Amino acid sequence: MNLTAVRSNRNKLMLLAVLVLLCAAAYLLVEVNLDSPKLFAYAMKIRTPKLIAMLITAFAIGGASLVFQSVINNTIVTPCLLGMNSLYTLIHTAVVFFLGSGSIVATHANLSFAVDVLLMGIAATIIYSWIFQKTNHNVLYVLLVGTVLTSFFGSIQTTLTRVMDPNEYDTLLSTLVASFSNINSEIILLSVVLLGAIVWFLRKDLALLDVLTLGKAQAINLGVDYDRCIRRLLLGVTLCIAVATAMVGPISFLGLIIANLSRQLLKTYRHSQLVLGSALFGMLVLVGGQLIVEHVYTYAVPVSVFITVGGGLYFLYLLLTRKKV
Amino acid sequence: MRIHELTKQYDGKTVVDAVSFSIPKGKVISLIGPNGAGKSTVMGMISRLIAHDSGLVEFEGKDIGKWKSKELSKRLAILTQSNNIQMKLTVRELVSFGRFPYSGNRITPEDSAIIDRAIAYMELEAFQDRFIDELSGGQRQRAMIAMVIAQDTEYVLLDEPTNNLDIYHATNMMKIVRRLCDELGKTVILVLHEINYAAFYSDYICAFKNGSVAKFGTVEEVITKENLSDIYQVDFEILNIAGKPLSIYY
Repeated sequence: MNLTAVRSNRNKLMLLAVLVLLCAAAYLLVEVNLDSPKLFAYAMKIRTPKLIAMLITAFAIGGASLVFQSVINNTIVTPCLLGMNSLYTLIHTAVVFFLGSGSIVATHANLSFAVDVLLMGIAATIIYSWIFQKTNHNVLYVLLVGTVLTSFFGSIQTTLTRVMDPNEYDTLLSTLVASFSNINSEIILLSVVLLGAIVWFLRKDLALLDVLTLGKAQAINLGVDYDRCIRRLLLGVTLCIAVATAMVGPISFLGLIIANLSRQLLKTYRHSQLVLGSALFGMLVLVGGQLIVEHVYTYAVPVSVFITVGGGLYFLYLLLTRKKV
Repeated sequence: MRIHELTKQYDGKTVVDAVSFSIPKGKVISLIGPNGAGKSTVMGMISRLIAHDSGLVEFEGKDIGKWKSKELSKRLAILTQSNNIQMKLTVRELVSFGRFPYSGNRITPEDSAIIDRAIAYMELEAFQDRFIDELSGGQRQRAMIAMVIAQDTEYVLLDEPTNNLDIYHATNMMKIVRRLCDELGKTVILVLHEINYAAFYSDYICAFKNGSVAKFGTVEEVITKENLSDIYQVDFEILNIAGKPLSIYY
């Protein structure tokens, strides 16, 4: 890439970052009574964790979706197509089901999250590396198996909740249907630590992403240990999705939208820029969306509805305008 | 490079059966044979893209599996037919990837000079800022070769480089192969379907039949009426044109 393109992309990213900052500031300060310190402190106490949770979610989903697309070598897939969201929901339900809602694992938010993420990491590594090996990295088969698994996990989860004690189910529900108005803010610190650890742990693999998109044969030709790298990156993707799902519940189209917006805006192969763009777009969509939901629609329409409707339309647009899928 | 008793099975069916031969340095070696004879599988195993079941691929005195992937990528380049690159890449960016084994994602001034030379060698200067998905098949193939040149390896493996190219581009491709060997001193190993391209442009030919080496030797030794009729089960006539044994079949 020539230098002017790199610089113009840097400017675009800066602009995005400024927009995110403006949105974040607006989210914190709109309609806050600045005269009374007590009211101000109260508003901050409510809004800050929500804002942080949204930023974390955006980073996790944006990064994970973009990495996932590059690993699969297809730009209209998202990790939820492989059933990662449903797997997380299933694991969370299963933990409560088998240990009971009164157990220490279920009542302690951070412990419950840690156990879920651990199980998710193990289960996903086994399931997904098996799928990839079995299908020889054939995207179509992987997606097909993934779609089947999504409903499979979903059915098991439904079955578990149906045979569950109604009281247990009631407690489960409050943590299960996390959403943007009911953000699971207790696990923020743990999530940040976890995401930081993932990025640090995978820094070498992330640097290989540019080469991975040349395809398996070329990546191996250029000296990449392909299978190991893919395995590690997929584990990272899974954990990021687990964090996001635990924090705000499943949002299917977000990853697709922001990863593709980033690709469209930056038109580059450089993943350092693409991932950043994707995360920033995610923050913009989530914080901006929530801002509108809270102050224009006064909570009448949840932000996930906008994302799903907008995402659906954008998905159709991508399908129709692309020559090749 | 030495291949010793290489064997590969798929679902219990032996597709490559105890194949052994040595690859002479600084020459063009073509692997030919009918469909399913195992030539592409052998190529895959030589290039570490396909794992072998038993046998040994010895590269510069060391088992190819024991080489560090990164070190190997400085000595051996592979070009396969499956080039479905989804990224928006310009020709220059693609060629730059050839330097990845040396410098990772950071291109040094020295790398830039090598990339410039590779682009000039393939006469791609005019296209270097074009996106590869906007190029014709022949141009894209040349861009891929430029990347291999930038990779600066002693060995170059090409899997059916003339596939999907018309005779103009295919012939040019074969001339490039010859230049890689004669001018840049590389050892080029390629899988070919067209017997005459193999006969005209290579130094050695390895002919496969039913997963085994039917014949390995210089062009003159392998391209004979009897050998080809036996390997392909079709009648052949050999003509001597420009000092090379070219074949017609009917």
